[in-house]
Amino acid sequence: MRDRDLREWRTLIHERADREWRELSPDVEHELACHLADLHAAALTRGASQADARRLALEALNAASFLEVSKRPRARHMPTGYVQDMRLAIRQLRASPLVSAVAILSLALGIGANTAIFSIVNSLLLRPLPVHEPQQLVTLTNGSWTNPIWEQIRDRHDLFDSAFAWSDTRFNLASGGETEFVDGLWSSGSLFETLGVRAILGRTFTAGDDRRGGGPDGAVAVISYDFWQRRFGGASDVVGRRLNIERAPFTVVGVTPPDFFGPEVGRKFDVAIPIGTEPIIKGAGTWLDERSTWWLAIMVRLRPDQSIDAANAALRAAQPAIRDATAPGWNGYISEPFTLAPAITSKSALRRHYERPLIVVLTIAALVLLIACANIANLLLARATARHHEFSVRRALGASRWRLARQLVAESAVLSTAGAAAGVVVARWGSQFLVQQISTRTNRVFLDLSLDVRVLAFTIAVTIATTLLFGVVPALRVAASEPMDAIKEYGRSLAGRRGGLSGSLVVAQVALSLVLVVAAMLFTRTFTSLTNLDLGFDRDRVLVVSVNAERAQIDRSARLPVFERVLERVQGLPGVVQAGLSMITPTSGQGWNGDVDVSNTPRLGGRQAHTFRNAITPRWFAALGMRLVAGRAFTDADGKGAPAVVIVNEAFVRRFLNGQNPIGHTVQRRVIFNRNRPDAVPPPAQEIVGVVADAIYDNLREQVPPTMFEPLEQSEMSIVPQLALTIRTAGSPMADARSIAAAIRDVNADLAITFRPLADYVNASVVRERIVAMLAGFFGGLALLLASLGLFGLTSYTVERRRAEIGIRMALGAAPSGVIGLVLSGTIGLVAIGIIAGGTLSLWAARFVGALLYQVEARDPVTLVTAAATLAVIAAIAAALPAYRASRIDPATVLRESQA
Amino acid sequence: MEFTGAIREAKKGTAELVVLAFLEDEPRHGYELTQLIEARSGGALTFNFASLYATLYKLEERKWIQGRWVEKAGQRRRRYYRITSEGREVLAAQRKEWRQFFELIRELAGVEHA
Repeated sequence: MRDRDLREWRTLIHERADREWRELSPDVEHELACHLADLHAAALTRGASQADARRLALEALNAASFLEVSKRPRARHMPTGYVQDMRLAIRQLRASPLVSAVAILSLALGIGANTAIFSIVNSLLLRPLPVHEPQQLVTLTNGSWTNPIWEQIRDRHDLFDSAFAWSDTRFNLASGGETEFVDGLWSSGSLFETLGVRAILGRTFTAGDDRRGGGPDGAVAVISYDFWQRRFGGASDVVGRRLNIERAPFTVVGVTPPDFFGPEVGRKFDVAIPIGTEPIIKGAGTWLDERSTWWLAIMVRLRPDQSIDAANAALRAAQPAIRDATAPGWNGYISEPFTLAPAITSKSALRRHYERPLIVVLTIAALVLLIACANIANLLLARATARHHEFSVRRALGASRWRLARQLVAESAVLSTAGAAAGVVVARWGSQFLVQQISTRTNRVFLDLSLDVRVLAFTIAVTIATTLLFGVVPALRVAASEPMDAIKEYGRSLAGRRGGLSGSLVVAQVALSLVLVVAAMLFTRTFTSLTNLDLGFDRDRVLVVSVNAERAQIDRSARLPVFERVLERVQGLPGVVQAGLSMITPTSGQGWNGDVDVSNTPRLGGRQAHTFRNAITPRWFAALGMRLVAGRAFTDADGKGAPAVVIVNEAFVRRFLNGQNPIGHTVQRRVIFNRNRPDAVPPPAQEIVGVVADAIYDNLREQVPPTMFEPLEQSEMSIVPQLALTIRTAGSPMADARSIAAAIRDVNADLAITFRPLADYVNASVVRERIVAMLAGFFGGLALLLASLGLFGLTSYTVERRRAEIGIRMALGAAPSGVIGLVLSGTIGLVAIGIIAGGTLSLWAARFVGALLYQVEARDPVTLVTAAATLAVIAAIAAALPAYRASRIDPATVLRESQA
Repeated sequence: MEFTGAIREAKKGTAELVVLAFLEDEPRHGYELTQLIEARSGGALTFNFASLYATLYKLEERKWIQGRWVEKAGQRRRRYYRITSEGREVLAAQRKEWRQFFELIRELAGVEHA
């Protein structure tokens, strides 16, 4: 308290001397300030009132002339004013550390959250690829392409400047047993050259490397900078070293620059190998000549003078020839005209998936920052009011309005700069945390989050905007200070006006908080609906082991017996309750489907005939905990050569059988006409022997689709190289991973295996909802906290201002409860207005979030009422504390104070 | 007691003498000086604080007094002034001069010394 007084006196003395064009040394300023403080303190000791004591000291100051005290004229250069503003501002903020800390902390969180989310928006949606002239790059839109199509485009050199194709994948670098996956990239020979990416060590690919089976240097690989550091410790002799990819030897020929992460935003690559080397890995299962395997993305660099329309026209002119050369034989093959689109930010599935949630979350973060600004504006307003007397005195001593307003703006600027500096730290941490949250085990997300000009500009813009938002109101108020106010009663005259302004700020805060609380509740309900959803299977205590026989040198027809031996071994292990093999694991993102007809039912048209499929072993349903509702499950007797059977789910029965008893009907798969295989015979009809309860196939948010299950032994999928071994365990799913791995190695040491609990797959499929719910919940909570702080501040201030009035009321016999009511009535009114405004705003904003919700309406009345009630309760608590304190005011003390 | 006219004019010239005299016994800080002067003169002599410090700085510049920052437990940092030997000589000389001046006035104007 004493130090603050001393600082204030120093400021006044400084300004007074300034007016007389004298500069005082800091020592002299201190000495004179001590004198005034002593004068003031002595008056108080003699029994003078605060106001009288101050008046006494101020009179002494007013009568003083500093012309004799210092001969040193004031320095004349202009900037001192601003530097001094800053110095004064910092001094002011240090004078009330708690208020400043709260302000800086809320700004740090607000600015930090905005910067964090913006830096993700920036790297995902705005920032171009770090390559040569990215504006000249265009992608071939709408999905992926087959290798024959890519080869046709590649060989038409006259269409564009250049083109390349790529595909994301994972490569297993382990030589056997448990897999060791890295992010892989199939790259055409032209990828690096077209992008303009040069190797920092060695070389990148040439067209020669991309020859089938490898170029003159054999099978070669280019590795990323990050992988080079991680795996090779940045060894300078890495070029020429061998790398086993899917157990085939590759030679490292080069390392890419640190900032190059690959051709697609949201992913990075560790190891790139030419598309032509694919047969080395896949052997006879190569996709290079597959006319219906769509796996490559294609990007094109336009010639300098070529427009995107010209390129589109050139490509479409070549389309009939490309179609004829690559047609797999079915109707409707690449009938849509080829369309190129700017690749400036590159095509990205991640982008499509997160665009809307990111914008919603960025909006939420911006609203939180607004609430924080309102809070700080209120704090500064309260302080400005407390300092009103100081400002009037300074006006009386000759300081201009502009000068005083400038100082307050300087204080705001110092606050928001400190907040922004801390915010950048919060943002660095926050954005990395978010990207980690988006990543799942099999789908690692990589975003380059380094600070660039755009993020920096954003942060600076936000900082300036916040400064203006919370700094201007108090500054305007101060500019209204009149010199005469100094002589009037100490700091009372403008109190009423401050109350009105604060009131509107609190109403705005309550309204915005309600919107955020509603959003938080909607997103949380969406997420909990999804996690509590009856999946139709049991996600806990189920382990999924992907078993891959691709590199195990087993003949295709001999694969299933190996898998079955694995199943048998694992089934016998202690800790394993049930186990089954399947083609597809639910929620893993894989799918397999086709069109079917059911006997004695009307033929369905178009998409209606579509059903999802899976191929399984008999105990797979039991391992997953899926319930049989009619008929029988598969048995070991449903093998090859036995009558073809199938089990369908309830959705299938509803769609195809319209409520009839399905048992005994047969399912006939339709065959797509294939020009290359005109003699293809339709597969045998399969008899429905059982019905299982509906269970999620892939997407938790969609209705369970019609699904049919066939015995693996009878399926054409019995030759696939990879199956999922689903194991129900007695304890935690990963507990027995070691013994399971050993059992599988016992059967064949060359099988590649990957372990993952089923719950992991399920959780990974709701990552987006989890993140949105988590962020919305966090920001909703923050908004509540800030709003309650604001209410608490306003009510406390009101109590302080009306202290004398309350004291008199109590002296006249008002009961404490009456005082509480008096204080609360004003606050309740503000909260009510805020809630009505916030409710209206929520109803309006509902349209933007509808698409992100699940099993809850965007205008859900229960949510709205619950949110409003929560806010009201918290507001009541925030206001009740100061109200209670008001009821404890001792009338005698107050009366004595006002007499003094 | 309120001085008017000639005495009030004369008072201005006496400031240096009074300050030196009050520092003769022990070092004091500025606020203490104003309080002492005011008390001993029964409120008849007061300094505006700015003039007091202007006087102190002038005396210090002439090396008649010397200021020193002192920090005492529980108190804020204060500047204490003590008289130098040169200051004592000046004080003695000034006292002598004033004494002679008063003698003269008494004789000439019939003013009795209290």
